[in-house]
Amino acid sequence: MAGKNKNKAGVGQYFLYAGVTTFAFVTVMIIPFLYGIFLTFTNWNGLASEWDFIGITNYLGVFKDKAFWESMAITVKYVLFVVIFTNLIAFFLAFILTSGIKFENVYRSGFFTPNLLGGIILGFVWRFLFSNVFVYFGNQLGIDMFSSSWLGDPNKAFWTMVIVTVWQLSGYLMIIYIAGFTNIPKSVVEAAKIDGATGLRRIIHIIIPLIVNAFTISVFLSLQRAFMVYDLNLALTDGGPFNSTRMVSMYVYNKAFLAQNYGLGQAEAIVLFIVVAIITTVQVKYSKSKEVEA
Amino acid sequence: MKKVVSLFLVLVMVFSLAACGNSNDGASGETGSSTTEDATETNTDDSSTEDTSTSSDVKITFLNTKGEIQAQLEDVAKVFQADTGIELEIIPTGAGTSPFEKMSALYASGNAPTISMMDAGDLEKFEDKMLDLTGEKWIDDAMPGSLDVARINDKLLAFPFAVEGFGLIYNKTAIESATGEAFDPDAIQSREDLETLFQDIEAGGIAPIVISPLDWSLGAHYTQIAFSQRGGNIAGHNEIMDKLKTGELTFSEFDAFNSLMDTFDILARYNMDKSDPLSGTYDTGAEAVATGSAAFWFMGNWAWPQINEMSGDNKEFGFLPVPLDMEGEDNKISAGPTKYVALDQEQSTPEQQEAAKQFLNWIVYEENGQKGLVETCSIIPAFLNIDKTPDDALAKSVLDYMSEGRTYAMVLTFPADYWAEVGASFQKHLAGLTTREEFYEEMENYWEIQQ
Repeated sequence: MAGKNKNKAGVGQYFLYAGVTTFAFVTVMIIPFLYGIFLTFTNWNGLASEWDFIGITNYLGVFKDKAFWESMAITVKYVLFVVIFTNLIAFFLAFILTSGIKFENVYRSGFFTPNLLGGIILGFVWRFLFSNVFVYFGNQLGIDMFSSSWLGDPNKAFWTMVIVTVWQLSGYLMIIYIAGFTNIPKSVVEAAKIDGATGLRRIIHIIIPLIVNAFTISVFLSLQRAFMVYDLNLALTDGGPFNSTRMVSMYVYNKAFLAQNYGLGQAEAIVLFIVVAIITTVQVKYSKSKEVEA
Repeated sequence: MKKVVSLFLVLVMVFSLAACGNSNDGASGETGSSTTEDATETNTDDSSTEDTSTSSDVKITFLNTKGEIQAQLEDVAKVFQADTGIELEIIPTGAGTSPFEKMSALYASGNAPTISMMDAGDLEKFEDKMLDLTGEKWIDDAMPGSLDVARINDKLLAFPFAVEGFGLIYNKTAIESATGEAFDPDAIQSREDLETLFQDIEAGGIAPIVISPLDWSLGAHYTQIAFSQRGGNIAGHNEIMDKLKTGELTFSEFDAFNSLMDTFDILARYNMDKSDPLSGTYDTGAEAVATGSAAFWFMGNWAWPQINEMSGDNKEFGFLPVPLDMEGEDNKISAGPTKYVALDQEQSTPEQQEAAKQFLNWIVYEENGQKGLVETCSIIPAFLNIDKTPDDALAKSVLDYMSEGRTYAMVLTFPADYWAEVGASFQKHLAGLTTREEFYEEMENYWEIQQ
């Protein structure tokens, strides 16, 4: 009897505090998502008054769409570099900024600031930098690498995307790693020092295992952000030059809204969701299994 | 004390949220100013105000997809309201958003504009949502051929809003100062004449031509010249596209296209941005031809506001056709109605539809309306009864070619992503990364996947 009441009270409390947000989440995210899946089994083009069921034709189309998988390949390559570099840099920065140097907090705020810029502004500012500022200095100082815009060359444009994303994201992940570092009990580290562990050994065998949950979170965030990148893609390279940096989100959006092929576009979006969901779930499960209690 | 402070903070938060909510309804003012910058809209939902039929005056909305005349159209709307009492709101579109995208979003959210300015190619998809305009007075005064693309299944679904033309814009003053002699556009009758002129200009120290590496300019505009020459009219254009889709026509057999690419090779050789062909933008091209650093620019008369801004006192500009040199024909520029305006019948009241029809008639027949369209917005009208001409050199040039019959009909029925995909391939070719054969192959692959 008492248990049932407690349950009711629990549910009541949940709706009191989180009811509004749950409602918003369900209507804005869950319902359109389910409706979208339903629509991929029809041939509705977003406008017509009538449509029919066409089964899995759209999904078969996804597998036949070579350009979609090419764009997926570019995105995977981009994700790989972004995740590795961002996490390395963030870890390194966090390590230094928790070692007690002067003006630590100033540096932490400084490194975090790029994350506050929205993707669109960031993209336009860096586009100006790559196309105009660097080119100007490259021409003045005779540096070949910078004398033509990096955004005009397919290979270099790819690296501009990586550079800007790493610049933006490192600060955010650094904060997470700092939290991880400050949570390491000093007693464990001191015990290791007393036992004669050198700096590198301490890092590999003591510190890293204790902050694996920071790794879990950071790798997950960087994976998800990199896979779903769109605003930076649009503002910085707009998929160019000639679609060589067209990441998969942009491809799907263009397929649905530019080519007006909603069925295929939505089906591709669902496939993208499944791919990212699988990758991130595997990653989180693997990382969690490595977490160690101090 | 602490309680008072925390209560105060809570109130501040609540009020700022309420204020945020209210300011979204006045979105037309905000979004109006955002189109003056190059901001791209990443979400297609626009909180445009809904048509209220409860107000005593009728209120209608007009979706404007020509960003360059947003401010001018708003002025015209004010004059219309003063003349007729009908309130007209102009809904802007962000730069880079296609009319189709914007309209789909507005229709889906129940905020369909009463009048929508759309690309002719999209009319078919909106067939059941648009009002049949057969029987309107202005049909008799429309330019011959301008209503063809708007006739779908025996209904007339749209009003030709703007006539545009494109070709090689030239800066007369710049050419004459480089060559040291007077420039007569009619003296250039062939590719060879043009190349000789380019060489003279180059010797005079000015870049002969600037090619803007924009996918829509190269993809949709430059390539269509060949389609227009061969097809002649909308039926002809569609026939060519069908043949390309089945593979019955290949580009190597497409004479007009080969000729077009021969001319392109010459243009590319004398391109101002030759060393870094993809670095230019729409604005750098406008600046180059306006200030005289380049003598020619492949673009259309819609660029006049930008050129006018930067050209100082020099207003001597005009069009030269891109030389195709097809046997027995003069070279022509491409011109024709490009933007069409359709009236909604699905989400608007009969009063609003009548008010919208009144607006169309006002533009064609009333003095203030004609002035608004032609002089305020610098638009070339598609109606023969309007005797006003925009006060700009490029529009005058287009009208001259039209009156001489030296124009090709614009291709309005390319597939929706044609400019983006073929434009990308063309950019590769411009940058020298593909040969002409490889470029043809990429285009043929594109047409193969189209249905």
